[in-house]
Amino acid sequence: MDTKNLLYFGVIIALVIAVAAPFIASSNPDGLESAFFGIFGAKEIQGSELDEDAAGAAEEQVQEITGNTFSFASPFPDYGIEGLEKAGEALAIVIGTLLVLAVALGLGRVLSRSE
Amino acid sequence: MHIPDAFIPLPQAAVYWIIALIFIALSLRWARNEMRDEKVPLVAVLAAGIFAIQAVNVPIPWGTSGHMAGAALAAIVLGSPFAAVFVLTLVLIVQGVIFGDGGITVMGANIINMGVVAGFVGYYSFQGLNAAIKNPYPAAFIAGWLSLFVAALVTAVEMAVAGTFPLELGLISMGLYHAVIGVIEGGITAVALYLIYTARPDLLPQPRGVSG
Repeated sequence: MDTKNLLYFGVIIALVIAVAAPFIASSNPDGLESAFFGIFGAKEIQGSELDEDAAGAAEEQVQEITGNTFSFASPFPDYGIEGLEKAGEALAIVIGTLLVLAVALGLGRVLSRSE
Repeated sequence: MHIPDAFIPLPQAAVYWIIALIFIALSLRWARNEMRDEKVPLVAVLAAGIFAIQAVNVPIPWGTSGHMAGAALAAIVLGSPFAAVFVLTLVLIVQGVIFGDGGITVMGANIINMGVVAGFVGYYSFQGLNAAIKNPYPAAFIAGWLSLFVAALVTAVEMAVAGTFPLELGLISMGLYHAVIGVIEGGITAVALYLIYTARPDLLPQPRGVSG
């Protein structure tokens, strides 16, 4: 396969994954969040039940421990677009994938030329 | 494994940012010196693919999920751990700034864990294993697994320094979950490498010291 086709193929695979992601991805807490909830008593380390109230309390508690209350309103929090449900998530991840592609191409072009 | 802002005190977060910036500078030097024009699209497609695959959280036991980080794959395919730092930094900036995935003040720590630690562990364990067993695919599987597992343990140590997790329980829980998530990382790293090398055998790493 020549370079051009390989890269088109790669972009298509990335976009297929991006569109499918919200429909196939698990909404369980990830490894770090799960460890956090386990340590702060919102779930058992090897259990699967999450106590939502305790989880909320844990998030306030950790802010008190670290004192880091920085918050930032990102344009598409949690890979979602308001009011668009799953389709919005797919769209958000597609936008992110294309944005990463464009920034990497642009930055790569500039850096590879700056010899 | 994306650390949110609240998990690390600001002074420590600043230290991680400084360390991360040193590695980012080195990765930019890699890009200037080693990234030829024809390699740019491959770097960009890998970055886009890694961003997309990171959105796929796979369920594991214990009500938990996990996704690939991709640093081992980027380092192996592009032939340098600094390539992984370059790619993962771009991915983490877009995730943090646009999607609120991973904090802003703690982004340095996330770049260290998923870019630097996973990239270096993935790259050098792959080099060693591939030289020993002369088969890139099992080598890539183990390197992928190890890259995620070690990155998770480093994250647990950072959490202990932050006062967020007790050290022992943090290491046990992070180690347990990421030993399983690492199987996903290793599996996708090996399969992606197989697909890339099948399409482009010329990208296979050449033995060192042999000029061709």
